[in-house]
Amino acid sequence: MSDLYRLQKNMMAWLTEKNEAIVKPDIVDTGEVNKVSVEQRLAVYGNAYGYRLIDALSDNYPAVHTLMGDDDFYEMTYAYMAAHPSSHFSLRYFGHKLEEFLSEYEKSEKGLPIYTEMARFEWSLRNAFDAKNTKPLTLESLQEIPVERWGELKFQFHPSVSRVDLEWNTPQLWAAIDEGADPIAPEKLEHPYAWLLWRKELLNYYRSLDIDEAYSLDAAIQGSDFSSLCEGVCEWIDEEHAPARVAGFLSQWINDELLVEIKLD
Amino acid sequence: MKLPSLGFGLGLRKEHYNAIIETSPEVDWFEILTENYLVDGGKPLHFLDQICEKYPVVMHGVSMSLGSHDPLDMDYLAQVKALAKRTDAKWVSDHMCFTGVDGTNAHDLLPLPYTEEAIKHVSNKIKQAQDFLDRQILVENASTYVTYKQSHMSEWEFTTAVAEESDSLILLDVNNIYVSAYNHGFDPLEYLDGIPAERVQQHHIAGHSQYDGYIIDTHDHEVVDGVWDLYAEAIKRYGEVSVMIERDDNIPELSELLAELQIARDVFATNYAGARNV
Repeated sequence: MSDLYRLQKNMMAWLTEKNEAIVKPDIVDTGEVNKVSVEQRLAVYGNAYGYRLIDALSDNYPAVHTLMGDDDFYEMTYAYMAAHPSSHFSLRYFGHKLEEFLSEYEKSEKGLPIYTEMARFEWSLRNAFDAKNTKPLTLESLQEIPVERWGELKFQFHPSVSRVDLEWNTPQLWAAIDEGADPIAPEKLEHPYAWLLWRKELLNYYRSLDIDEAYSLDAAIQGSDFSSLCEGVCEWIDEEHAPARVAGFLSQWINDELLVEIKLD
Repeated sequence: MKLPSLGFGLGLRKEHYNAIIETSPEVDWFEILTENYLVDGGKPLHFLDQICEKYPVVMHGVSMSLGSHDPLDMDYLAQVKALAKRTDAKWVSDHMCFTGVDGTNAHDLLPLPYTEEAIKHVSNKIKQAQDFLDRQILVENASTYVTYKQSHMSEWEFTTAVAEESDSLILLDVNNIYVSAYNHGFDPLEYLDGIPAERVQQHHIAGHSQYDGYIIDTHDHEVVDGVWDLYAEAIKRYGEVSVMIERDDNIPELSELLAELQIARDVFATNYAGARNV
C-alpha cells in the first residue's frame, strides 16, 4: 500500500469512524502555533464532516427535520451516515436511502412511521424539482388522433411524475411546515390515499387521486393502452361511461402537463 | 497558457438569480458551483441558461478529488464536460485535495501530504482530467488545518511543482493563504513569492471565521482587512488576474457583494498602478 493511500485511509477512518488514534500519529504536533492541539485540528475536519452531511440531509428533508426536532434529527443523521456513507459525487444524492433507513429506524425507540412516509414524500418532491425538462403534450396533439384508434394509445409521462400511497396526513403536515403555519398533529388515516407529485414548468405540485384515476395513472405509467384503462375502471363505474371517464383523466393529465408523448402501436 | 483576465466577478448563488436577471448588475463574470448544475433540469439550469446569455461564466467544482488514491470519476467528468459546453465556460477549476477514498465521499477538501509521491500522483490525475476535458484546468489551494509528518516541502513549493508537472493553472485563493498562514504559522508573503505569476489565472477573495487560536474558512462573512492587504500584495506580484468574491453561506443581498466587489476594484486600481510605476 502506498504511503499516500495509507494516509488517506487513516484520515477517512477518523471522519467516518471517529477513530482518532489511527490518523493521529501522522499529524505534526504544532502546539507552538497558536497553542492549537492535534486534537483540535482534527476536530475541524471531524466536525465539518458531520455538519455538512446534516445540512445536506436537512436541505432535502426539511419536514422530516422539523418533525423530529434538531437533537433527534442529528442523532438519526449520524446513524444514517454510518449506515450509508456518501458515495456519489454530489451531496444532492446523499439522502437517497433515507426512506429505507427510516423504515428500519421505526424499530428503534426514536423511529416513527410518519418519518418514513414524510421521507418518501419529500424525496419525490426533490426528484420532481430537478427532473429533466421535457416539452408537455398539447390537447391538440391528442385531438389529431382519430377516435377509432384511441384504444391503442399509450402514454409517456414527464420524468418528474411520481405516485405514492400515503397512510398518514403527510401532505397536510408538509404544507403546514413549509408555510410556517401552526404545527398540526400527525394522524393515521382510515385507509391509504393515492397521491400524485410532479413539476409543471418550474414549480412542484401534488394532489390526491380518486381510486379509479390512481389505477389508470399507474396502469398508463406501466404501459397499458387506453382500451385497457377503460376495461380496468369498470371495476368502479359501468362500462358505458368508462371511455368518457378515462378521456376525462387524459384531459386533466394534459392540463397538468403530466404527459409528454402519446404513442400508437 | 494563461488566458486574459475576465475582470471582477462574483460567485453565482441561487438567492441572487432574480436580482441578476432583472437588474443586470455590473459584474464582469460569474463563477458557478459545478455540482449545483449537474442535474437533469428544473430551476437551476433554467436560471443558469439565462445568466449565461448575459455574462461570461467559469466553473468551480469540488468533486474531481485530484489527490485521491481512487481513479477519476469519468461519469462525473463527462457531466462536467457537457456543462462546460452548455455554459461556454471560460475555464474549469477544482481543488488541491482529496475528498474521499475507497468510494466513500467525505464532501470535504481534505489535505494532501507535500511529498514527491503526491506531486506525481496529483499531476497524473490532472493530466488525465485535462486530456479528457480537452482544456487546461485550474487547481485551487485549499485551506488546511493539519500538517502531515510525511510532508517535506512547503505548500507553495508543492503547489508550484504540481502546476509545472501537470502544466495546469492555479486558482490562488487569497483568503485560504491567509487562513493557512495563520493556522500553520507561515509567512503569507513567502507563499505569494513562491508561486509562479505566469500560472495564476484566478483569485478568490472571501471571509472566514476566527476562533480561539485558529481560523476556519467558512465563506460566511465579509472580507477582512488582512485579506484585502494580502490581495494588494498579490496584485503587485501577479498583475491583472480575474478576481471574485466567494460567499457560500449567510448570503447577503446582492448589493452587499457588489459593494465588496467595488473594494476589490479599488484595491486593484491602487496597487496595480503602484506596481506599474515602480
